[in-house]
Amino acid sequence: MCGERRSGADPAVSAGPSRRSDHRAFRLFFYGFAGFLFLYTVSLFLGNLDQLLVTAGPEHAPEMLAWGSGRAVMTEFAGGFWKDPYFWKSLNLTVLLTAITTLVAALAGIPAAYALSRYRIPGRGVIEVLFSSIIVVPASSVGLCLIVMFNYGPLWELQQALGFRVAHSIFPGMVIASFVLSFALGLSAWKATFDSINPRFEQVARSLGSGPWRAFRTVTLPLARSGLAAGIILAWTRAMAEFGAVLLFCGTFAELPLSRFGTIERALCIDRADWLSVAVWAQIEYGNVEYGFALAFVMVIIGGVSAYVMHRIGARGYVW
Amino acid sequence: MGGDNRSARSQRWWPVLCVGLALGAVAFYAFLIASNWIYLGWSDTVYFFSQPRMWQRFWLTLWTSALATSFSLLIGVPAGYALSRFTFPARNFFASVIDLPIVVSPAVIGAFLFGITTAAPFRHLGENYGFYIGRNVAGVLLVQFTVTCAFCARLMKAAFDLVPTRFEAVSRSLGASNFRTFFKVVLPTAKNGIIASMIVVWARAAAEWEGLMLFVGATEGETDIMPFAIYLDWNGGMMGWVVSMTLVCLLLAVTATAAMRIIGGRSNVW
Repeated sequence: MCGERRSGADPAVSAGPSRRSDHRAFRLFFYGFAGFLFLYTVSLFLGNLDQLLVTAGPEHAPEMLAWGSGRAVMTEFAGGFWKDPYFWKSLNLTVLLTAITTLVAALAGIPAAYALSRYRIPGRGVIEVLFSSIIVVPASSVGLCLIVMFNYGPLWELQQALGFRVAHSIFPGMVIASFVLSFALGLSAWKATFDSINPRFEQVARSLGSGPWRAFRTVTLPLARSGLAAGIILAWTRAMAEFGAVLLFCGTFAELPLSRFGTIERALCIDRADWLSVAVWAQIEYGNVEYGFALAFVMVIIGGVSAYVMHRIGARGYVW
Repeated sequence: MGGDNRSARSQRWWPVLCVGLALGAVAFYAFLIASNWIYLGWSDTVYFFSQPRMWQRFWLTLWTSALATSFSLLIGVPAGYALSRFTFPARNFFASVIDLPIVVSPAVIGAFLFGITTAAPFRHLGENYGFYIGRNVAGVLLVQFTVTCAFCARLMKAAFDLVPTRFEAVSRSLGASNFRTFFKVVLPTAKNGIIASMIVVWARAAAEWEGLMLFVGATEGETDIMPFAIYLDWNGGMMGWVVSMTLVCLLLAVTATAAMRIIGGRSNVW
């Protein structure tokens, strides 16, 4: 963990008046840049609130809408998104699948991060480069890698033999597409958490006779708890923000016939729904601008809350 | 004691499970990357890599992301220093708002940028002075800047967090002004971290495409930076182009990350 050093004592307290004015200019200079960033972000998001009030467009050109042209709610504030089952199904789908993704990523990633942090695995540098490079690989490349991996070669033959398809499906497909990046990100966070904990505590526990699992569960896990929780939120947020991989690997589902969906998907109310960020794109692309912006604001609220929670937990920094 | 030893021995499953999961994850990601190249094959790789269309897009990606990164650095380095050193009320709130462009899906950012650039100040500039940001390279730069700026501030905060405040305190106590301390002590000490972060920011800018979808669109030879060209050519069914460009993007990302590690930065900022 880095950053227990935040300037607690004010260095200008004991200085003379000229030092104090220098200090003020110094702080103002740096606050200026941070403030610019803050104001830019705020104007980026609040400057678009008027998009929710656009109600005229769809009335004049209903044929431009690819779906939902018969909807009466189109002319309302924000497209009347809360009345539309498509919105609730999409939210349902995204929250459910990101929860599954995060669960799988945490169950697989926390032990893997522990192994990468504690045990001598040959080629550790290469492995770290592999996982951290996934974070800066474009999402379109990730989606395409998934397509090539599952739709060509041995895995395709396997799917043919078993009689199902991974690509363009909700259950394995979307989970896998959102898993790739959120796992890589969560892994780096969890590994950094384990790195920051002194292995000596664990060695003491081992020398006193406890096994590796007991030493992990009773010593390291409690120490790592807040870092692991922050990593889980991070993985979840990243899965929510996933767009490119899901779009390329799975596409949109809104126009598909009901028979395309299984009974489980219908029972869970996730049929004919899209991944939330894909839904934003699809709605705006097809002319439902105010509806798309309403969904975008829903995503902004979700992302903002999870970022705030991460800061409160004490995640000092995170990156993707 | 003997019982303890037995239970300790029976807990061997835990390290085995950990290492197994780690190796499984590595195998999954390695196969994910390798399947591309296995699919393309050697002769096609040579063919597509020798096409001028590929390298034209490559240079476009390179210079737009480099320019956007330099803008982000101008804002991000001081902002990261402010976030790292100063305490102010409602810090978590301000930090969360600054983080929003990283947390929210970039496709959403693209939609918001579209809304902004068609509204008041930009529209006025466009109508009166011919200053247009939208379906041209300026739009690409704006998207890359917006997405990487917050990212850059966050990485720089981490880089400055690694520099102990003690050096600054000593420098100030010896009579140097705050600005002199910043330029003569803090920046040189954090140099490696800043350069490493710069590389990551640059790679992130080069990987940006979701924001371009709703905001810029792709004009062949003008705004089709490589990640976006992948999506376009995939829609056009040009599988060879798509897979070879994916390979270039992967190589770019791996090179950037490896360079960052060699310089000694940290990709994760905890």
